[in-house]
Amino acid sequence: MDVPITRFVALLKRHGIAVSPAEAIDALQALDLAGLDDRETVRVALRSTLVKQCQAIAEFDRLFDLFFSLPASGNGASPAAPGTASVALLPDESGAEAPTAAEGARAELAPVEMDTDRSTRAPVTPEYEGVDLSLFGQHLLLQQRKDSSETGYKPTFHVNARQNPGMPGGGELSLGDPGDEIDLGGAVAALLADLRALEVDEDLLEQLEARLAGGLSQLPELLRRYRARDAALQRPRDAGAAPPRPRRSYRFNDHERRQMDEIIRRLGRQMRGALSYRRTANRRGRINVSRTIRSNLKYDGVPFFPVLSTQREERPRLTVICDVSLSVRTTARFMLHLVYSLQSLFSRVRSFVFVSDLAEISAEIERSSLEETIDRVFSGEIINTEENSNYGRALEIFYERYRSAATSRTTLIILGDGRGNRNPPNAWILEELRRRCKQVIWLTPESRGSWSLGASDMPTYAPICHKVEVVRNLDQLGRVAENLVRSSFANRR
Amino acid sequence: MFETIDQVVTLLRQQRYICDRKLATVIFLALKMNKPVLIEGPAGVGKTELAKTVARALDRSLIRLQCYEGLDEARALYEWEYGKQLLYTQILREKIGSLFAEMEDLRAAVEYLRQHEDVFFSEHFMVRRPILQAIASPEPVVLLIDEIDRAEEQFEAFLLEVLSDFQVTVPEIGTIVARHPPLVCITGNSTRELSDALKRRCLHLAIGYPDEERELEIIRLKVPELRESLARQMVSLIRRIRAMDLRKAPSISETLDWAQALVLLNAEQLNRELVEETLQLILKYDRDVQQVSAQLPMLLEGANGAARLTFDNMDLREQQERYRINERAYFSSRREE
Repeated sequence: MDVPITRFVALLKRHGIAVSPAEAIDALQALDLAGLDDRETVRVALRSTLVKQCQAIAEFDRLFDLFFSLPASGNGASPAAPGTASVALLPDESGAEAPTAAEGARAELAPVEMDTDRSTRAPVTPEYEGVDLSLFGQHLLLQQRKDSSETGYKPTFHVNARQNPGMPGGGELSLGDPGDEIDLGGAVAALLADLRALEVDEDLLEQLEARLAGGLSQLPELLRRYRARDAALQRPRDAGAAPPRPRRSYRFNDHERRQMDEIIRRLGRQMRGALSYRRTANRRGRINVSRTIRSNLKYDGVPFFPVLSTQREERPRLTVICDVSLSVRTTARFMLHLVYSLQSLFSRVRSFVFVSDLAEISAEIERSSLEETIDRVFSGEIINTEENSNYGRALEIFYERYRSAATSRTTLIILGDGRGNRNPPNAWILEELRRRCKQVIWLTPESRGSWSLGASDMPTYAPICHKVEVVRNLDQLGRVAENLVRSSFANRR
Repeated sequence: MFETIDQVVTLLRQQRYICDRKLATVIFLALKMNKPVLIEGPAGVGKTELAKTVARALDRSLIRLQCYEGLDEARALYEWEYGKQLLYTQILREKIGSLFAEMEDLRAAVEYLRQHEDVFFSEHFMVRRPILQAIASPEPVVLLIDEIDRAEEQFEAFLLEVLSDFQVTVPEIGTIVARHPPLVCITGNSTRELSDALKRRCLHLAIGYPDEERELEIIRLKVPELRESLARQMVSLIRRIRAMDLRKAPSISETLDWAQALVLLNAEQLNRELVEETLQLILKYDRDVQQVSAQLPMLLEGANGAARLTFDNMDLREQQERYRINERAYFSSRREE
């Protein structure tokens, strides 16, 4: 049973669902306890042990259906009488036949593939490794009752070990031209001979022979289904390798989102972890010796009422100002994502966007999803995004109207390239803001080398800020998050 | 103790909790594998209730830890009773004095004291908080850690030892291992992502809104006075409302409140006035109420019109699709409300 499960876990991983080895072991244990009789029970047992993220459940269900789907038509039906040509070839009470069927299938698969689609031939060897033909027999192994699993399992192993020398290999066949006929009967005979050599029970072999005779005629149909399923399993992976979708759609995949959230949370954890020197009396915490002695003097110094105190935690208050003008359009998507995550994860965040005008979007973010927010910002509903960016004016508006968002406990984060199109930079406002805020951090998508090119005000702004960092993607952001927090708290102490 | 999955379903039903096999399977596995269950889903779908019911069905006592922002070790695991310790030292002062009178020098006295310091750091001076209670309990219990996403991430780290090994380490005393591993149920509203370490140790159970039949069954069980036709109308309307884009969609607890109210109001059937008057019961935000009442005629028409089956079905399918999308959106959004 563990082979198909490991394969399934590998498949989940390939589709971006993280599964730890411990969880895979849990899954096996769960299957053992829940039994394999009922498909839905198996599904739930696997899901509850392997998938811990609500977002991944849909994907899990899809993969589960595909992975354990092949013999669906024969599923549930009692095994057909030996020899009847039917799909019932696959699900059966004895596991010994399963790999054999798979073996036969392997012999047949190559020509079918050549006929239908040559282009898929190439990936077969390396790519198909994860979902190779022995999947064919997987369902069977899962179907077995616990008591028969011992006997069923061993032959599987042996047959697999012998399969390569005994059978025409897939790679070999692919080189031949379509005209080449494969002697399927011969292959089966060879296989049976192999099995005899393994001294498998005679009766079993006879049964097998009879069944194969019927089953072979059905093989093309089975293979077609197998290939369809295989293609379905394969597809998302190809999609992942495809070039990224056009930027205009501003879509985020789950992975990106998770990574962003993770970085921001790390940032927040470190900020939150900072303790101020102020200690406050509290119902919990450590004994504050001096205060205890002082307040218990009236009891003759007998410390009847211990005074406990804790260090007060300073929550970060963030104000984020984000440039969404054309010049940063390529990174604005990313920046807005950052703004959005910041506000979603922290309680006290105010967010602003600007080009020439500046407007607060905190409420927007509270109300709508990330994509909606971005769409609204770029549609020009909130501010005119077609104008040339004017940092000086935006700063002025911020200073005039939203000064209250910058207090001694606020960290001000500005996202933008500092290209103000030769408008007055109004650097004094930034200086003023620096004075008012605890920290001013500027994240720019442009590397330092290009600041001197064209009309960039970054050289003016940069020295005023506590920190200027170049951030263009998640990796950089992750690194910056780490440095930022470490150094800023080092400064404070 | 539950022996089969079907037994779980039956026993929970006896305790007036309707559940599907999926849920029962997870509970069954949790008991058999001695693993905590992490239950996630929208508010009001019966996450907490599940833990309570399982406790009743197993005839175990329920120990509940409500999480909140700022919850720490001292509130969740254990705490030293400083006051009691001080009191004892004061009362025993004479006794201690007489013991030390025989000591010839300070060094010996300190040595002597050290031999006896475990007197003051014993379980006697320890306040047991819910988690330690659950671990130290002589009988098996159900431990409910409610709304874990309200607590900080650091708190999850405290839990890890308890969740994987069912033990608590108190530096002064040593490790307290559970005699009977408790069944741990952790609930969360997905307002923030829980740490992977925590998730890895748990079985995961996502509870969503029930399907139509199950919801009807729940209403029948909890509000038997409500007439069947009205219940059907109600459920149908509620499902339509859920399909809308609302800030807080009504969940089962709201459905039940509403059913109760309709019984009290002696309602015969749903009409516009009645629904508008009672809408506050199922919707918690003004904006939602406005949005729903604006579309009420259309919504109600669907809920009442059994005759317009074809149109209705098409509509419903579409609605269900949207409802599914909403549900997914709910799960994927981790924004704090």
